[in-house]
Amino acid sequence: MTAREDIPHEDWDGMTVDEALAMDFALGALDRKERRAVDVRMRSDPAFRAIVDAWTTRLSPLDAATAGVAPSADIWAAIEAEIAPAPQRIAIVATPAKPSLWNSLMLWRGASIAGVAAALVALAQVGPTPPAPGVPPEMLVAALAGADGKPLLSAAYDPLRGAVLLTPATQRQDEGKSAELWVIEGKNPPRSLGVIDIKDPSKHVIASDQLKGLESGATLAISIEPYGGSPTGLPTGPIVATGTLRAV
Amino acid sequence: MSAPSPGAAELSALLARAADGDRQAFEMFYQRTSAKLFGIILRILIERTEAEDVLQEVYVTIWRKAAEFDSTRASPVTWTATIARNRAIDRLRARGSRPSAPLEEAAEVRDHSPSADVIIDGNREAAQLNAALAALEPRHAAAIRSCYFEGITYETLAAREGVPVGTLKSWVRRGLMRMKTDLATLHEGRAA
Repeated sequence: MTAREDIPHEDWDGMTVDEALAMDFALGALDRKERRAVDVRMRSDPAFRAIVDAWTTRLSPLDAATAGVAPSADIWAAIEAEIAPAPQRIAIVATPAKPSLWNSLMLWRGASIAGVAAALVALAQVGPTPPAPGVPPEMLVAALAGADGKPLLSAAYDPLRGAVLLTPATQRQDEGKSAELWVIEGKNPPRSLGVIDIKDPSKHVIASDQLKGLESGATLAISIEPYGGSPTGLPTGPIVATGTLRAV
Repeated sequence: MSAPSPGAAELSALLARAADGDRQAFEMFYQRTSAKLFGIILRILIERTEAEDVLQEVYVTIWRKAAEFDSTRASPVTWTATIARNRAIDRLRARGSRPSAPLEEAAEVRDHSPSADVIIDGNREAAQLNAALAALEPRHAAAIRSCYFEGITYETLAAREGVPVGTLKSWVRRGLMRMKTDLATLHEGRAA
């Protein structure tokens, strides 16, 4: 079912097309194709996402009526085995001297997705810029494609949490390699911001002095290096993603 | 959002530790939430093995997304229940149809009226939502509950109820909008 000619109009208690779609999704009544479309839209349309979230929250007390059922005892072991070897999450905590620069989406473009290791890289800023009173901060999102047009990363910046979440479209990782984050300013040689170690779930901290002087227009890049990072201090492996810091 | 219960605060703290890679904290989180999530998934999928498969997927997802959880926007229970519900529904859609459960079991599954103990023990939000649902036409309220608890499409439910899809959608959407208005009025009344 793709046609939505049945969507009600203003006479339906002020229900909009988006509100109808959001409630349908939150209720769980959409078919597979429609659900996927809503899912994609939620990633790129914060206003729509807010409507869906509101309906989800509104309906969630219904779950109180669902009795708990104990799963088999071996389920936890299976989960633990799956999360133990390489937690697919890295958080980079930045303490930037100029927070405003991090209040922008980092747009990554890459010709190749090979070796992009992290399933989720979070660049979090300590002490987010407080939003203007009365103005709800807008969540910024972007779906990013590589040179071949295939989705490479989705990026989302949440001003409330002061975090940039990058979700690569691939979870492939190269064994024995490290992904290293670089910043390239003007004509200067690339400067390392450290190895993004997917084997280590602990937070990577970027020292504030490393971020000092970063300006809009600087290029960020990720290269694949021998385990532990580049031995030379400059990228030696393939650059798998690059992007420009932009103030939005 | 209402003030989080002490339980929610504890669960949020466990999630925050899980986001830092603390597997022990995540195991505690699992022990305290898995029965609830499994109940939600099982209600949609019926088939236990498949439901356990989805439960496993759900917790791996929670582990990976733990850093995205924001306790100022949702309770940890709502956040994880939403992930569980969506995964279960996606699995149901991928499967195509529900397995034919024995009649008795199916009848039991389809009884979505809240039991007395839930009304007594349930939180205030649940009581308010159930009251708002009770104010609707019984058939409309039943349609809303069926969609929510079974995760079935409007088409499937319309066929089961023997009514045109348009009619069913109208029941559900008008019912939900009325429910929304009722709940908003309640909240305003409390604030005043």
